[in-house]
Amino acid sequence: MRLDPGAADLDFRQKARTWLAGNVPHAPAPPDGQASRAYALDWLAKLHAGGWSGLAWPEAYGGKGLTPGRLLTWYEEYVRARAPSTLDCTFVALNHAGPTLIACGTEDQKAFHLPRILEGRSIWCQGFSEPGAGSDLASLKTTGRVDGCDLVINGQKIWSSFADIADYQELLIRTEPGSKRHKGLSWVICDMSLPGITVRPIRNMAGVSHFAEVFYDDVRIPLTQVVGGLHDGWTTAMTTLGFERRTAAMALQLELSVRIEDLIARAAPAPGSAMADRLADLRAEAAAIRAMSYRTALREPATPFDGSVVRLAFAELAQRIHRAAMDVLGPDALTDGQWVHEYLESYSETIAGGTAEIQRNIIAERMLGLPREPRA
Amino acid sequence: MSFDLTPTDDLRQILDAAQTMLDTHYPVARLRTDGQTDPMEPLAEFGTFLLALPEDAGGAGFSVVEEALLHVSFGRHLVSPSALAMAIAARIALDAGRDDLAAGIGGGQITVCTAIAAPDGPLLCEPAGTTYALVVADDGLTLRPLDGATQAPVTSMGHGRSMTRLTALPDPSTDLRAKVETARLHTLLCAAQLLGIATGARDLAVDYAMTREQFGRPIGSFQAIKHHCADMAIGVEMLSAQLDMAAIAARDGADDAAFQIAALACLAPRIALENARTGIQIHGGIGFSAEADAQLYLKQAHVLRHCLLAGDLLSLPAPMAPFERQPA
Repeated sequence: MRLDPGAADLDFRQKARTWLAGNVPHAPAPPDGQASRAYALDWLAKLHAGGWSGLAWPEAYGGKGLTPGRLLTWYEEYVRARAPSTLDCTFVALNHAGPTLIACGTEDQKAFHLPRILEGRSIWCQGFSEPGAGSDLASLKTTGRVDGCDLVINGQKIWSSFADIADYQELLIRTEPGSKRHKGLSWVICDMSLPGITVRPIRNMAGVSHFAEVFYDDVRIPLTQVVGGLHDGWTTAMTTLGFERRTAAMALQLELSVRIEDLIARAAPAPGSAMADRLADLRAEAAAIRAMSYRTALREPATPFDGSVVRLAFAELAQRIHRAAMDVLGPDALTDGQWVHEYLESYSETIAGGTAEIQRNIIAERMLGLPREPRA
Repeated sequence: MSFDLTPTDDLRQILDAAQTMLDTHYPVARLRTDGQTDPMEPLAEFGTFLLALPEDAGGAGFSVVEEALLHVSFGRHLVSPSALAMAIAARIALDAGRDDLAAGIGGGQITVCTAIAAPDGPLLCEPAGTTYALVVADDGLTLRPLDGATQAPVTSMGHGRSMTRLTALPDPSTDLRAKVETARLHTLLCAAQLLGIATGARDLAVDYAMTREQFGRPIGSFQAIKHHCADMAIGVEMLSAQLDMAAIAARDGADDAAFQIAALACLAPRIALENARTGIQIHGGIGFSAEADAQLYLKQAHVLRHCLLAGDLLSLPAPMAPFERQPA
């Protein structure tokens, strides 16, 4: 068990630090809408030009194929330099859609989309959840009827982040009539400019419109846009989630270690005070989240549950850190500002991408081997 | 590879061998009888107290990483805090040039108990037959001979492990103080044992949740129980990942070693106590009884939290502190 960087590792860290110091934008990211799209794509294009995009992607697909150790190093430098959050409108493309296409896509799909994603030329959103299919994703009802060379899509998706500014959507629909649960689904690339698509942004509790409802009214998508097998979309979707749970959250997890330092600096608690104790506990937990990121990345063989555990521990710690920030701010917590905004946003951490309750089921059933819940 | 957290074959072999020794000599069920004192001979024969000492000092030349993970196994078996005291006492003796004493402790001929400083006099944990005490106080660790000391019997928490109180202290001129690095190592190993407690409590609770049935189903199928089990697993994973970071930093003398160990010390008692509490709750009525083992984990967690010298985490520089931004 080793964490000792060699000369080449130290050199890599220094190169990353120098580049970030010279290139991280000074202006904060706009909260939503077209301005947020332009900001995110500019930043990604800049990363690409500097040789810093697609670091985890295989070299055969335009990525850098960095080792997990190098990725940790990059993201540590990234968050310490206060570079833009990786959870922006490029996140789905870089961490879900791209890797899914690499794993399951056709050569044509890869050749068209992967360069666009890496170069900062296209935004993707996810179309999985529906009003009636949240934690129970397999109960989704949006249909795609095969008609000649097309799928004709009808139905509704919800909580689709950045759908209003996205070029493409990973769309999971029921293509086999009468099929149930995980069977008969397909994962398709949906061009968001197609006729019959209506996007209605939804304001979240922090007052910004990241996510949206998407309505499909006889939207025709060529069958060539199916990723993985027709009617075998669940397999493709699980590949997506697998990527998400392994390394996509690395930057966010490491960033907590920076945020707690910001909070300690802002609070400047008196030694021995209750606030000092509380912040010390939070600092220790942030250190443990970093340690879990390291373990997830650097321990072989990778155990599929490391990701679930660290993701949940991270989400709940993020909420506690921001809750503590509200106490540090006092009455200023009633006015808008970065900490307050992030506090409100942190409520999504235990809901988006699988609720904390579902994560606990996964940990208990698949990692600890406890019996499954009764299911319909 | 310079970045790799995969346990090495050496480590796995040590832990496998330790498991056999612990199952033979320290089954948790031994503690169902009050007033137990764990013998130190099997641990000494295993090489526990020499494991990470340099080979020219009679040690096995392993590192504190292997030693810390060995102490996790001790924690799972609720081994007496004397094991921790002896591992550290051997180092204090070596640092003081007392090679004879170090060799005696390493071989198990000289035994050392833990003494926890308290207002009415230090509390000695399982002192029978020991000739030294490792005194844990806010200002550090001291190895103190027990000749001439007088001890008063004490009934320990819940009538558990054997305990006395030191009422008269021997001449302090023969005391040996632990160096800062040695005291830090004590914190590391103590936290490792607390992780073992958290792990053992989790495993016991999960086993029970799989076998105990109510409403015609194993109670572990209900979210109310399985989510408690998941929380215990999360605590174990957090603490164990942090232990790896801290142990590696300590072994390598890394800049952030003090920070990583202080963070570990902050988490360890909290998680161990919480898992022990949850473990009792999951057992229901039997968990509250002295006949079940769940309560043993709780009591041991209380003992070890008082053996732990927690540093002031907030006073230490953070390895992930943000960089100052250059003006635009």
